[in-house]
Amino acid sequence: MPRRLMWAGGLRRRLVVAFVLVAGLSAGALAVGSYFLVREARLQGSRDLAQAEARVDLNLAFGIKAASDTLDPNGFVQGYEQRGVHVVLLFPGRRSVPSDPQVNPPLPAGLQRLVREGQLAYERMQVAGVPYLVVAGKAPNSNGQMYFFFSESGIGQYLAQLRNALFAAWAAVILLAGLVGQFLARRTLEPVARASAAARSMADGQLATRLPVMARDEFGIWAASFNEMADTLQAKIAALLAAEARERRFTSDVAHELRTPLTALVAEASVLRGHLDRMPDEARRPTELLIGDVTRLRTLVDELMEISRLDAGRESVQKQVIDVRSVVAAMLRIRGWEDRVELGGEQLMVFTDPRRFERIVANLVGNALEHGGPGVRVLAAKNGVHALIEVTDAGPGIAPEHLPHVFERFYKADSSRAGSGSGLGLAIAQENARLLGGEIMVRRDMAIGSQFRLILPLPDSSSVNNESSSVNKL
Amino acid sequence: MHGRPVNESLLLVEDDASIGEIASIGLKAGGYRVATAVDGREALARLRAESFDAVILDVMLPSLDGFEVCREVRKFSRVPIVMLTARTDTIDVVVGLESGADDYVTKPFEMAELTARVRAVLRRASAPAGQAAISVGDVEIDPAAFTARKGGVELALTATEFRLLLEMASRPGQVFTRELLLQRVWDYNYLAESHLVDVAIQRLRAKVEDDPSRPRLVKTVRGVGYRVDRT
Repeated sequence: MPRRLMWAGGLRRRLVVAFVLVAGLSAGALAVGSYFLVREARLQGSRDLAQAEARVDLNLAFGIKAASDTLDPNGFVQGYEQRGVHVVLLFPGRRSVPSDPQVNPPLPAGLQRLVREGQLAYERMQVAGVPYLVVAGKAPNSNGQMYFFFSESGIGQYLAQLRNALFAAWAAVILLAGLVGQFLARRTLEPVARASAAARSMADGQLATRLPVMARDEFGIWAASFNEMADTLQAKIAALLAAEARERRFTSDVAHELRTPLTALVAEASVLRGHLDRMPDEARRPTELLIGDVTRLRTLVDELMEISRLDAGRESVQKQVIDVRSVVAAMLRIRGWEDRVELGGEQLMVFTDPRRFERIVANLVGNALEHGGPGVRVLAAKNGVHALIEVTDAGPGIAPEHLPHVFERFYKADSSRAGSGSGLGLAIAQENARLLGGEIMVRRDMAIGSQFRLILPLPDSSSVNNESSSVNKL
Repeated sequence: MHGRPVNESLLLVEDDASIGEIASIGLKAGGYRVATAVDGREALARLRAESFDAVILDVMLPSLDGFEVCREVRKFSRVPIVMLTARTDTIDVVVGLESGADDYVTKPFEMAELTARVRAVLRRASAPAGQAAISVGDVEIDPAAFTARKGGVELALTATEFRLLLEMASRPGQVFTRELLLQRVWDYNYLAESHLVDVAIQRLRAKVEDDPSRPRLVKTVRGVGYRVDRT
């Protein structure tokens, strides 16, 4: 189950990561692209504006005043400075004259060359950390060159803001994508989780489990077919259970119907037994056989009835504290097995149903006596929280291939042998042992023979008190 | 056999002809006089008209089942009753005992089992010889007259209930295990149904206790058995 949960979590995480990746990449590409487009447009706009202004200034101002050699260059440039434009005036072979001494960088040679050739040229450069667009040209009718410095720090700030805004938006998109992805993944995978819960519940025997068909999407269709499968399964199992119940009822009815004539037979046989020695020889042996067969029939019907009662699951368990050895000893005495079975082991008190306990041990001993041959031993022992009652025989042991089947109904290890047992004794013993919260194990020991071991829980003080209160209720 | 009066009379109530016939053959061979009835109504009519020393009563009877017959009989007679029960369920046994049966034999049975049970209930119903009267609490027991009185009023105890009370009251304060009671009162010499004891105790309490749900006379000893206090 942990493996399944891990898988579900992994799938959701993968979906979220993919969602974030796609959203992040496309948002990032959009942001970077639009940033460069805006930047290009702003720089272009700034250049166009600067060029136009420079052209006008060159034509108007310089064209008139620069013609004269009597021009005061400092006064001339101050006029521009007052309008907010830094300029640098340069006559070839002379020192350049700046309008603002702070803005007087060495003029780039490439720019100067273009200007000398009579072009209106521009270049971007940094002066004292401020970005400037420098537009330069030669004044008409003069060899004076003018360099106009337009500050672009506004554009830089604007672009920096744009960059920040775009980055923040991108981060927000990533975050949002993560959240939406998580939500969508959960929504999408929810039917899967529901389906796996439904499948688990079916596996636990809740056959009425169905999935809600929410929508006509893939999951809806899948849920519908799941439900169809569950319907079929439920119907099939119900049919099987009904058939099984019918079969059990039949067994139980047969056993019941057999009981009345069997009661007469048993009573009749017991009366006949008292007259055996007065019978003529030719009648005595058949009568003995008859009595023996009635006993066999009785065992079979008794056991059929017991197994059908156990199958019906309505058996009640009446527990009390018993002394294992004295109950087993009494059982051996009643059945006349005292001389054939050795009883050993330690004193052992068990909290259990005495009738069922006696039945289990009697069936095990009966089986050992019938199939195991001589040397049957019953041993009581304690093992931690369990009581162990071992029934061993000195027989040839049960062949390994028969071991797993000895508790099956009517299973006979040697099919050619018609023993006096019904073939239900061990099955009944096992069912009773389970009813008492225990179990019977079987093993084959080459040195000993066969060993059947009944394991029962040992009493604790609380259960002993319960026993007394249930007696009061009776 | 054991010096008992011969020809004690039994009423055998059994609807199956074969079982009825072989059971009466077996019982007659054991030295009893046997009358038979094939259903509950006939059984009740005969019990009202004649007196029997014991009744053997099948549970599954047409018209009126064994439990009902038992309850009816208890209204006017303390005659010992042995139930013939189907072994299907211990519930049958408990219901039978609760309706007032003294003992039971499960079908199928051997004749020896049935005669042993009949002998045991007959022994229980005969007055024990030479025992002095006992009183515990406000209950006086007179073994010779086979009666018990509570506050001067005679109690309608069955033979089994009377024997159970007498057994325990003879040694007040002593704890009796179910096994011991089964041995001494019911003549079982192995651990049989403890229902016999538990149901009889319950019925006894209903008759001798002021408040049967809080017994003061017949006490339960947890995990062991029962005890009668002198109080």
